[in-house]
Amino acid sequence: MEASRDVVFDGVTKRYDDGTVAVDTLDLTVDAGEFLVLLGPSGCGKSTTLRMLAGLEEVTAGEIRIGGARVNDLPPGARGLGMVFQSYALYPHMTVADNLSFGLRMVRRGERLEAAEIDERVREAVDMLGLGPELAKKPRDLSGGQRQRVAIGRALVRRPKVLLMDEPLSNLDAKLRGQMRIELRRLHERHGTTTIYVTHDQVEAMTLADRIAVLDGGRLQQHASPLTAYHEPANAFVASFLGTPPMNLIDGVAGDGRFVAGELGITLPTHLAGASGPCTFGIRPEEVEIVQGDADGVAAEILGVERLGGESVYHLEVAGHSIKALWRREDLAAPNIDLAVGSAVIFPKSSES
Amino acid sequence: MNGPSAMEQVPVGRSAAALSGDREVAASDYDDIAIRWYRPVAVAFLRRWLPWATFMNVVLLGGEWLRADSGGIVYAALGVALLGVLSVLLLGSEAPRSRVACWLGSVPLAVAGVGIGIASLVQSALSLYDVFSRAWLIAPAALTLWWLFAVEVRTWFLGRVDGPAAAAGLARHRRIAPRLESFGTHLLLWHAAALVVIPVVWILDVAVSPGNALGGAIGDAFTGEHFERLLTGKSFWLWTRNSLTVATGTTVLGLAFAIPAGYAFSRFKFSGRTQAMFAVLLVQMFPGVIILVPYFMVMKTLGLLNTSIGLILAYSVTALPLCIWMLKGFFDTVPRELEEAALLDGCTQVQVFRRIVLPLSLPAVAVTALFSFLAAWNEFLLALVFNTSNEQYTLPVGLASMIPANGQRWGDFAAASMLVSIPVVVLFVLFQKPLVQGLSFGGVKG
Repeated sequence: MEASRDVVFDGVTKRYDDGTVAVDTLDLTVDAGEFLVLLGPSGCGKSTTLRMLAGLEEVTAGEIRIGGARVNDLPPGARGLGMVFQSYALYPHMTVADNLSFGLRMVRRGERLEAAEIDERVREAVDMLGLGPELAKKPRDLSGGQRQRVAIGRALVRRPKVLLMDEPLSNLDAKLRGQMRIELRRLHERHGTTTIYVTHDQVEAMTLADRIAVLDGGRLQQHASPLTAYHEPANAFVASFLGTPPMNLIDGVAGDGRFVAGELGITLPTHLAGASGPCTFGIRPEEVEIVQGDADGVAAEILGVERLGGESVYHLEVAGHSIKALWRREDLAAPNIDLAVGSAVIFPKSSES
Repeated sequence: MNGPSAMEQVPVGRSAAALSGDREVAASDYDDIAIRWYRPVAVAFLRRWLPWATFMNVVLLGGEWLRADSGGIVYAALGVALLGVLSVLLLGSEAPRSRVACWLGSVPLAVAGVGIGIASLVQSALSLYDVFSRAWLIAPAALTLWWLFAVEVRTWFLGRVDGPAAAAGLARHRRIAPRLESFGTHLLLWHAAALVVIPVVWILDVAVSPGNALGGAIGDAFTGEHFERLLTGKSFWLWTRNSLTVATGTTVLGLAFAIPAGYAFSRFKFSGRTQAMFAVLLVQMFPGVIILVPYFMVMKTLGLLNTSIGLILAYSVTALPLCIWMLKGFFDTVPRELEEAALLDGCTQVQVFRRIVLPLSLPAVAVTALFSFLAAWNEFLLALVFNTSNEQYTLPVGLASMIPANGQRWGDFAAASMLVSIPVVVLFVLFQKPLVQGLSFGGVKG
């Protein structure tokens, strides 16, 4: 794919009139055809980033480029974007067909499209999203899922260089959300449009993204593929934000190939053996192995069990630290746990905010 | 008088229950509950609506006082007293031990109410108002009396209700109470409606009565002469044309300013925004009379006295504040995301407004238009001061000119009033739906 379609954030900062900094010198590149998810808790600046790219917010400093061209001062309509809003923002007084074609009819003089071309593009979107029977209806007569489809269709008929989505699934119920997630991914594979997707839901991020950009406090925390971000989080924030239940994090001191936190001592695997000084030791709940009556393990006390059916979340207390373990077996009494330290991570204390 | 039978009732039930087996104890517990909760539906209805009847008699007493009808005052005062005491007695019957006393006290009061009411009607020269007034004593008293002797009410007052009867009574209550409630509510609403309709009926009667005097019974004679004279004469048509010009001009000019202003206040941040919004309201804070003289001077200087333009300008300015605020309030409810979506769809700011916001705001615009049209249509004071020539009179001023200090033409005036109201009524009927929508705002969410 041609690299000219990349989206580039070059030291982009957004400072509001009251002095709050929503986005702090963000550097981020999105490859052509990539599905990027901006992930973070509310107030982390992910929506602001998207709105700056869309032209709905002014950029305080830095530069945004789409396909190599600076777009900071272009009006939203001239940036060649399609956007799906959280509330869908369908025009209530227009039929589905008019909603879909509105953007095509609004094209500036000189580039105006033939009526046949407009019809063709609308039909294409309608076929792709299965909206045929709904064309003559008004948005208020549609179900949530159908509105969602129309909103996506409206963004796609413009053949956007970049498709923007601002928490598009958060107004749907859980079941529909699951369906739409799969459908969105399939759609993206079909039309291949560069997509930037904002969400606070880590499941959506993991399942949809080619790459995830995790934001917190207006700063980029990690920009990596979902699995990399999951298994090799750049810092404790990313580690705790991805995964349910979240990664176990223990503050302590490393040195001489060992990690010590109070009475808990762990022999570090080779790839972590070099760590020294105050640090945070992290291990995923599914990596915590529960072994009953094994002398090699560390004694643990069960504080509580959440049975999820297929597996159970064990809330354990190990040498004064609370640790969650994900385990398939049920009804364990006073287990010893064994930390499968091979896949653990360590963050130097200084990297924490 | 302390109702020994009422006191005995409950303990007897309990001891009977205690003697029998478990299941009967449970059933009897239910009976106890039923007996405790049961009130005959008639009693519940009277408790709620007799105070209203009393209040109505207080209002009627005021009416009689204004009419200075000494007989009427006495009857209305008796009505207040009788129905008031009846209300208190019925409310007092909540305690089982005083029920018999309440019943015994209520019967003679109700009898007295009916008796006094009927006696007052057996006199000469009754007006419709007298009958209406007395009906508010006779009807509640008669209803109370009739119900006091109804079987289920009497047994309840005398404390002779057993469990099954109480249970049946509760079921009956649930069935009938909504209907009685609805009757009471409708009666109240009919009175409110009559208050509005009666003056209209009265003026309609004047309009179709021969001669140009007030008074006379309603519907005693019919003539079309007043309408005929108005519609064949020149003045009425001239005034109508002036009024239409002024009202339409005001609506168009007012909206031309109010729509952009309302949108700007709703959506854009600019320096002086708050102050400007307050300044717009400031004009409304002074009574019209204060600005009457300055207005007159301005119009005189501009040479706009005796012109429609002068009135249009003045009315637009007075109507603007409310129009702007109403429209701003509506624009506020149009979701911002809709406008952002339109921006991304390639609209300019003007197109966003014209193609998205304005179509969505049509109900509010309709309401605002109607409001400024009616304000201009009905305005009297400015029109009177600015226009000295009969040629330039608007309808309200023209109407007023029909009733000078002497030689008033009440019949013509009444006929003209009816005609002037027609467009208003038509507009309201036509715009009923957008009016309701517009006034309840925020119907935009998909």
